[in-house]
Amino acid sequence: MFPLESPWNISFAGCGFLGIYHVGVASCLQEQAPFLVDNARHIYGASAGALTASALVTGACLGQAGANIIDVSKEARKRFLGPMHPSFNLVKIMRAMLYRTLPPDAHTLASGRLGISLTRVSDGENVLVSQFNSKEELVQACVCSAYIPVYCGLIPPTLQGVRYVDGGISDNLPQYELKNTITVSPFSGESDICPRDTSTNLHELRFTNTSIQFTLTNLYRVSRALFPPDPQTMKAMCKQGYKDALYFIRRNGLLQYRGPQRALGARADGEEVVEEEEEGEEEANGESSHDGREVVVFNEHSTVEDHIFEHLPPRLHRALVEACKERRSLFQSLGNLLPIRMASALMIPYTLPLESAMSMTIRLLEWLPDVQEDVGWMREQMVKLVQCFLNQAKRRLSQQVSARLSYQLELRRSQSLPARPSPSWMSGSSSSMLDLILRLDQYQRQLLPGLLSVNLDLRASIFTQSSLAEMPEEGLVMRPVGPAPMASQPSSEGHPGGS
Amino acid sequence: MQDESESEGSGSGYGWWPSWRPTSMSLLKNTEAKILACIQNDVWARFVTLPTQDRIWTLTVTNKRLSKAPEKAPRTPLVMVHGFGGGVGLWIRNLDPLCRSRPLLTFDLLGFGRSSRPLFPSDPAEAEERFLDSIEQWRRAQGLERMILLGHSLGGYLATSYAIQYPERVSHLILVDPWGFPERPQPSEEEEGSGGQRSEVKRAPLPRWVKAVASVASLFNPLAVIRAAGPWGPGLVNRFRPDFKRKFEDLFDDDTMTQYIYHCNAQNPSGEVGFRALSESLGWARRPMLGRVSLLAPSLPVTLLYGGRSWVDSSTGARVAELRPPGTTRVLVIEGASHHVYADQPGEFNAVVEKICDGVD
Repeated sequence: MFPLESPWNISFAGCGFLGIYHVGVASCLQEQAPFLVDNARHIYGASAGALTASALVTGACLGQAGANIIDVSKEARKRFLGPMHPSFNLVKIMRAMLYRTLPPDAHTLASGRLGISLTRVSDGENVLVSQFNSKEELVQACVCSAYIPVYCGLIPPTLQGVRYVDGGISDNLPQYELKNTITVSPFSGESDICPRDTSTNLHELRFTNTSIQFTLTNLYRVSRALFPPDPQTMKAMCKQGYKDALYFIRRNGLLQYRGPQRALGARADGEEVVEEEEEGEEEANGESSHDGREVVVFNEHSTVEDHIFEHLPPRLHRALVEACKERRSLFQSLGNLLPIRMASALMIPYTLPLESAMSMTIRLLEWLPDVQEDVGWMREQMVKLVQCFLNQAKRRLSQQVSARLSYQLELRRSQSLPARPSPSWMSGSSSSMLDLILRLDQYQRQLLPGLLSVNLDLRASIFTQSSLAEMPEEGLVMRPVGPAPMASQPSSEGHPGGS
Repeated sequence: MQDESESEGSGSGYGWWPSWRPTSMSLLKNTEAKILACIQNDVWARFVTLPTQDRIWTLTVTNKRLSKAPEKAPRTPLVMVHGFGGGVGLWIRNLDPLCRSRPLLTFDLLGFGRSSRPLFPSDPAEAEERFLDSIEQWRRAQGLERMILLGHSLGGYLATSYAIQYPERVSHLILVDPWGFPERPQPSEEEEGSGGQRSEVKRAPLPRWVKAVASVASLFNPLAVIRAAGPWGPGLVNRFRPDFKRKFEDLFDDDTMTQYIYHCNAQNPSGEVGFRALSESLGWARRPMLGRVSLLAPSLPVTLLYGGRSWVDSSTGARVAELRPPGTTRVLVIEGASHHVYADQPGEFNAVVEKICDGVD
């Protein structure tokens, strides 16, 4: 039983093109347990999850969102090299679709409720953005959250003047650790709503908080996250999402909370509702025993899940079918013939550079308004890089020098000492060692006020090297500065004789 | 680092060779000591030498008050068996609360943790026998007449097998997210979809390369990666299993737990080889337990504990209940817990286990 007394959150994992799974989950939650969405305190999302989360929070049409994802994937699959083709501009397509799908007052609906996971470029830390001043800002946050470096481009986009990239890099499943966060992930693992693979593999890994079990299907899914599968598979994933969410709602006995607005649509599955209520009672009994919950055997599964196609919201279903339809024109069917395909494959070395040049020009033109800002940022980065490099070099150098410095300090001291009015300790070895150390410290402070900077150190080393030749042999007893050893005695005594 | 050669050098002939992996038995010992220092009750940790010359690292935790006032009739001890790749240290959140009313024993399985790491046979039945023998010999060395046997994951599989073979030794069997129960579905079924009983979504069969990758991967031991990674191994564990650190973060604010996991598994693989013998390519058991559950003594009470978020399908528990005489099997789900139920929701877990134990005597 999901604890409904305390506030809960919903968190969507980042997953690239598998985001279609989230659409299925979201539409199921919206249909079967609307209170779960409406009363959730926060809805979080990273990367593709952020797109669905924002659609869910703002009440945008989920069918449209699903169709959008399939359209993008079709666009990506159209070309040779798939999404890596230079003329495929994911960011641009995504932005246009978000503008079209989100309602005009999206930012007011989303502020405070929607949390988008972002990775700050400057320090790699995770940031959860939940205040949006305009629709543009919301769209930009979504774009930032899905901006996978290199895959989407090289210059990270800005949001409120700060550069961000894909939220999945730092936290792919925001706030998953809270017990009452409903986690949604298209990878089978330990999330609340996720596909259950028939595997009993013990091994799993966590990709920035998203649990991924080692199964063959997961391996396939991961490979499909950035290189989209065909529309039919995507549709199946969407359905899978719907089903897994339904399973979750059922398992937690949340169906009985169905609001009155669903009563009309529920007439077809009246007997099911009765079953659900019984189930709820059983669970209540389990709860009262207070030591966990007795598992209810779900043998009614097969019969209930047969109705899945009626369950899929008609709008979503229609949109998906529409999106999956291949518009087969004469031209396309001609293009699918083997000789033509072979010819076009052979032509790739010639057409690819041409297409690349074209798309590069288009991109450059589109880039023009941002050039100044981006170039400024790049210059900043370069300066930072150089500074960092210099700092490191400096540190390395100063480490090397400081070792020598300790000897050189000694040399300088011994050179300048005779010029001073003869201090009392020079007269003999009778003075105590402590006194000697104190004196040395005093001299060090007097003589070397500026020696802490590296430049002076270097000069010091040059200076002493040149003076080395003039120095008599016995004056050159070197020793570390630390606790004054016995060797300092001959050094200070031998000096007056030398100079 | 200081006495790395002590235990490593003697066993293999490569003691002089600079180690590629930053691990050793003494490092494991130190990390474990750090963990066990959290226990507030009396701990007696020692190696138990079996007739086969294998050494089993054993922990006995006794309540301070209980040891002072000897009871009239000693209560049945609770014996906990850890899962794959674990060790006694993982029970740290359960040792103190569960020893309140009865003696508590836990040990590193043969081939895991600090116990001996012998060569395991590659035949599934023989490998299982090897594990069971070590448990039985250990029990005899400890002089335990009967025990409440609790097993997690792989430990659950072995505990069930043990209870089948030595029914007179087990008073109650507690299985926490046990591994190796369901049978592998027939290939035709598996092709259709991976939704378990909800397999009516048609999914395109997996591409060939996925299968190729899987078959290559199955040539290696499951955790070969972290050993092959050498000096990067600890980082790898940290990166991909941050959950272990998080589960225990109120006890240790550094990497102690992930280091413990690393040192447990980066050593010479032995239990892992045994596990590989027991399992098929994708983690299915070669000799699934569901087919053998009916061999359990009909009177033996069994409790199955599942984590609500775990990938282990709790419906298997319901099937176990169907296969056994009515009223002898209970299935409980602990909400909000992952596969490592005992560490995720220790409070609830301990309460449930204590209640079961109190039901025994």
